[in-house]
Amino acid sequence: MLEVQSLRKVFGGLVAVDTLSFTVPDNSILGLIGVNGSGKTTVMNCINGIYHATSGTIRYKGKELVGLKPHEIVSLGIGRTFQVPKLFRRLTLVENLLVPVLGDSRSDRELAAKAEALLADVDLYRIRNNYAEELSGGQQKLVELLRVMMLDPGLILLDEPFAGVHPNLCRVFIDQILKLQEAGRSFILVSHDLTSVYRLSKYLMVLNQGQKIAEGNAEEIQNNPDVIEAFLGR
Amino acid sequence: MYTTLLIQALISGIILGALYGLIGCSLTIIYGTMRVVNFSHGEFVIGGCYAVMLFYVASGLHPLLSVPLVFVAFFVIGLALYFLLMPRLSRSDDPELASFLTFYGVSLMAGAALLYFFGADTRSLNYVFTPSVIRIAGFILPTAQLVVLGIGLLIIIALTWFLYRTIQGKALRAAIMNRDAIQIVGVNINNLSALAFGLALGLAAVTGVLLALVFPAFVPFSGLDFTLIGFVVIVLGGLGHPVGAIVGGIIFGIAEQLSIIFLPQSLSQVVGFIILVGMVALRPSGLFGKVAMR
Repeated sequence: MLEVQSLRKVFGGLVAVDTLSFTVPDNSILGLIGVNGSGKTTVMNCINGIYHATSGTIRYKGKELVGLKPHEIVSLGIGRTFQVPKLFRRLTLVENLLVPVLGDSRSDRELAAKAEALLADVDLYRIRNNYAEELSGGQQKLVELLRVMMLDPGLILLDEPFAGVHPNLCRVFIDQILKLQEAGRSFILVSHDLTSVYRLSKYLMVLNQGQKIAEGNAEEIQNNPDVIEAFLGR
Repeated sequence: MYTTLLIQALISGIILGALYGLIGCSLTIIYGTMRVVNFSHGEFVIGGCYAVMLFYVASGLHPLLSVPLVFVAFFVIGLALYFLLMPRLSRSDDPELASFLTFYGVSLMAGAALLYFFGADTRSLNYVFTPSVIRIAGFILPTAQLVVLGIGLLIIIALTWFLYRTIQGKALRAAIMNRDAIQIVGVNINNLSALAFGLALGLAAVTGVLLALVFPAFVPFSGLDFTLIGFVVIVLGGLGHPVGAIVGGIIFGIAEQLSIIFLPQSLSQVVGFIILVGMVALRPSGLFGKVAMR
């Protein structure tokens, strides 16, 4: 379980996240939505160590994450994808998937087989030896998720996985997320694609100007007046 | 005779260019991994020159046997320097400016240290291979240059093997491609950067050993010349691309040697920089720049 307590992140005079508390139970998908600049990505960056929280605590399976470096948080079982995929452009798809497990004790053959199986699962096996930079944006996002899965994380942070992605590929992505959830993974899903978020997340949280303004299931969120005002204005 | 001069200049250019390429390659490993411009890089090249001279004068150690010793010594110096300086620099408000100024200071300190220990007099290795020249297909080539070319090629092959076949090398290449991504896939970027820094300084010093075999003289503050050559080479080849640096170095070396033949000496030193300006104007990302860009 992920427990965030009174998380606060300040950049100079700007309060990006203000006293935010929430939990992500095991085997669940938390939808995190809000308008641009509401603090969603800042929350993600604090969880996976890219930013150091100004104050508050973030605990994963009882272990405090604030103050840890990104690679230390990865080793605890938290993976992350990005709105703009961060792949190794001049490595092949298989090589990209093998970078996280470079120091793994398993044999190269076993790890390569795992990588190829993951690629086959999403119909990317045929281009496994293409460079990452040759892929479309949507394919790159999918490969980034597969790279996360090489480390078998318990919690996966997805930042705008559907942005700019073809609907067919979105379906593949959604299938992968549901499959991983069935296998016991948890997710925090940040997305402006509310249809997909409502479909995947039984529980949602809405941020506005760094603060939580609503939480609940899809129906509660859609009928919340604060949410309507935040998204549509007065 | 004209043809002979031209071919000898080409050969010399390739040999020196390979060494320039090694300087650029080691500089680009630091820049690619840490986004730090090591302004003191040339001082560690000169440090290698003095180290091989010291080993030879003090113990009679054959210069080629100094190569692994110098590499290990400067690798350790590089690790120590990294952990001494980089954690503090990364916490500064402007890490890039802070590292530029810091390594400029390191270059002054390194030059002063060499001056203190070895004096201001011009030094040379004074080692002569037997025979001193070799005749190949009618061309007379200094044995030292051929040996240096051979060792240089071996180093390039070893470096390529390291970057493409070892775990640490693959991680280094990945870090050069995308420093943010390498952290979020679980690689300790601090340790990897330290490895890169040590490797780069070790390579720089070994290049100095080879340069001492072919250049007649060196002085404590001649490191800046090699730092500038390194900058030119990595811009020619593409920032953050080790193989590009090797190719850029060879182009620079050939241009330099050909211009010595055909131009007045004062102008020959400018030719390489003219090529640099031309490259920046026509292809700002360098020869392999597309590969180096994120």
